[in-house]
Amino acid sequence: MTDTATVTVTAPAGADPPRRPRRRWRVRGRRDRALLVMTLPALVLLGVFGYAPMLGLVMAFQDYDLYDGLLHSPWVGLANFQQLFTDPGFWHAFWSTLMLFSVQLVLFFPVPIALAILLDSLLSRRLRSVIQAVVTLPHFFSFVLVVTIFNEVFGGAGVLDTFLRSHGIASPFDFMTNPGTFRFLVSSQLIWKEAGWSMIVYLAALAAISPALHEAAAVDGAGYWRRLRYITLPGLTGITVLLLILNLGYALTFGFEQMLIQLPAVGSGAAQVITTFSFENGIVAGNYSYGAAAGLFLGITSVVLILGANKIAHLFGEDGLYRK
Amino acid sequence: MTKVVPDMSPRMSRRGFLTAAASTVGAVAAQPLLAACGSGGAPATTGAASTTLLQRILPHYTPNSLAKPDYPSIDGSSPAYLAYPSKLVRTVAETPGSGGSYTAITPLWGTIPSAGNPFDQAVNRALGATVSVAPANGNNYSTILPQLFSGNKLPDWIQVPTFWAPPLNFGQGAADRLADLTPYLAGAKISQYPNLAAIFSTGWQAGIWDDKLYGFPSFATGFNIGYQLYYRADVLDKLGIGTPAVKSINDLFDLAKEINDPKAKRWALGDIWGYLFQPFNYAPWMLDAKGSLITQYESEGIIEAMNWLAKAIKAGLVHPDQVAGNYGNGVTEFYSGQMAIVSDGMGAWNAADALKGQAAGKGYTRASFDLFTATGSGTPKVELQAATAWTSYLSKSLSAKQFQECLRIANYLAAPFGSVEYNLLNYGTEGVDYTMTGNGPQLTPSGTKYAGSSVTTYNFLASPNSTTYNAGYPEVTRASASWGQRNAKYGYPPLFYELNVTVPSSLSNANAFTPFTQTDSIMYEVVRGRSSIADYQSTLASWKRNGGNKLKSFYEGVLAQQKKLGSA
Repeated sequence: MTDTATVTVTAPAGADPPRRPRRRWRVRGRRDRALLVMTLPALVLLGVFGYAPMLGLVMAFQDYDLYDGLLHSPWVGLANFQQLFTDPGFWHAFWSTLMLFSVQLVLFFPVPIALAILLDSLLSRRLRSVIQAVVTLPHFFSFVLVVTIFNEVFGGAGVLDTFLRSHGIASPFDFMTNPGTFRFLVSSQLIWKEAGWSMIVYLAALAAISPALHEAAAVDGAGYWRRLRYITLPGLTGITVLLLILNLGYALTFGFEQMLIQLPAVGSGAAQVITTFSFENGIVAGNYSYGAAAGLFLGITSVVLILGANKIAHLFGEDGLYRK
Repeated sequence: MTKVVPDMSPRMSRRGFLTAAASTVGAVAAQPLLAACGSGGAPATTGAASTTLLQRILPHYTPNSLAKPDYPSIDGSSPAYLAYPSKLVRTVAETPGSGGSYTAITPLWGTIPSAGNPFDQAVNRALGATVSVAPANGNNYSTILPQLFSGNKLPDWIQVPTFWAPPLNFGQGAADRLADLTPYLAGAKISQYPNLAAIFSTGWQAGIWDDKLYGFPSFATGFNIGYQLYYRADVLDKLGIGTPAVKSINDLFDLAKEINDPKAKRWALGDIWGYLFQPFNYAPWMLDAKGSLITQYESEGIIEAMNWLAKAIKAGLVHPDQVAGNYGNGVTEFYSGQMAIVSDGMGAWNAADALKGQAAGKGYTRASFDLFTATGSGTPKVELQAATAWTSYLSKSLSAKQFQECLRIANYLAAPFGSVEYNLLNYGTEGVDYTMTGNGPQLTPSGTKYAGSSVTTYNFLASPNSTTYNAGYPEVTRASASWGQRNAKYGYPPLFYELNVTVPSSLSNANAFTPFTQTDSIMYEVVRGRSSIADYQSTLASWKRNGGNKLKSFYEGVLAQQKKLGSA
């Protein structure tokens, strides 16, 4: 598709330079009409649910009052941000978010890749589909259910503790309420829930690697590990980088539901992230402008993170979010 | 069916209580308050409406009890009936509606019933109007309300519990969106609506904001407290403990130790934080030994309460799920006997509870400790809550004709126990929603799904004063009514009782008491050993610095004003 596009847009020699871009757009538009029409519903959805609500962000610069609305609430400039940046609770939530995200990323990211490679190497198609179905299923559970299942197994009144207690062994530590190990708890929940689902993309990327490469390498005497190192992993790099960048976009918004549910169990010292901070201060306490300021800061930081990661990907010669 | 407040999960109750504690609910705040503080600075003068003004606004109370209770009200306790009246009386002669159509939103803790169900149809037929109640999930009702108010998407009729009013800036906003009922119901004008006139004046006070009457009360009662301490009488019997004699907080600790057996999957206590205000005797606003105004968070009682619960948690006496803040299974764990002592609202003790509890295990019996003091000496005291927190409001956009129709409908909804109307609103239609037995009306599966005594919908728009009646479970009525008669005498009205104080917006942050009311409040952290009392003190100091002290001076002004007016 991209190759064809390149050919079509090459303008004939001697064409009028100022008119070229317009013509190019027109030609492209006519050629891709069907595709453009198909993207319309998604664009409308994005406009209505993605961009239109952003207008509400102006309340971050107001002392928003429910009854005065956006149009009549008084403007306060950057007062909400000044308050935000001097609020130790906010910075605690900010660093806590970054820390939890980093730990989750490091622990979670390799798992679907390893799982995909492992599954790809299985010969029995039947076994493969069974495993794939089993590991994909938890993706469809909500975090409420995931946390409940973890609690039923590892909680203070859960299966494990009950078993240990009935054998006279005091539980070594309570995994569900220990703030010190909370980062590992949330990572393991994420792995259990999402690793199977994330694996699907990598399986597709693995399928795209030509078997001829593997066959040729095998004929040349390359063993399994050498083929993994020089064929499989390089074949996954593009998609890995893309997913990594997309993940960074969620760095500050991840796990709202997961954290909110478990906040009472471990306390805000361990589980308060920016999204829960914004929710508690904005929606629950009714301080909407302050919550919106925290939300806006979060959005801008996320965009910076994505663009930064994309730039780095380009520097290393990868495609990133788009081909340069 | 005990008609007090709907059963709420312990977590909701706890938060509800704390939020309620953060604001003062009740009636009459005052124009002077706003006038003095509208600019947002520290108040110069403050004030509350005078008793005479209150008398002018409040509807005149005219009782209209139809049946003689087996347990009459003592010191404000709800009157209770062991048997259902054999002859029902019609209190509304004419069909109240004139064909109007209204939308309504109420909170519901439970499965949302389908729209247009047989019960709704029957009620609307009797009303002569279509009141479409769309119940919304009670667990996030507080987050839905601001959206409805800010977007001006209010239905025609809405339930707004007073403990969720503070984030809505209700005192300032109500007038913009809601109908003023004062011209229709103030003083003797209410006599046109005899069922509404039979609601306690204190119930109406909850719906007064800035000198105007806006709200219809539901489930008003003379003895309303935040929490009771319940226990499983059958479990204690089985353990050979019998009826426990808890006279002090140490007695409670000793009893808990006796009951506790985690190996048998039985823990003595749930998270009873919500209840500890009673023995340790603190209230949202109070006077210290020197007579200065303090918040409950500055009281010695709350520190002692934290220390006590921390000790109980450390000793392993509290169910691990409750320690972890997983309150969702609290009721099930109480039914299964995994928890023997829990705190819950007054509405938890009823026939539905007995039915579910006995389905979970034969012999299930809920009982409640009599009130006690922390030290075991002196007379127990319990802070009274406003007569009701449940108030519903009409939209200002209704026409005068629609207004009148809604008032007549409200009068129908407030029909007392023993009336034809009450029977329909709580039990539905005979043969469809209930069958009449020797034990009174028994709900059918359809009735259990939709009827008012099982699913609170229309009752949240208006309902009569609380009465206690538990169809098929007279023993529940006997136990709860005699508990009420024994304990109501200990109730005392706290400072600013029944007063809807409108706090200036510059103090609304401090008035939200966020560090003390959020899910993981500082008290919550202290009792779980993740923060110390020193951390608590520093949180308190920081709250005081960031507006808390100003809020206190504001309330001192209100108190002085009240004293001057002779209403304090």
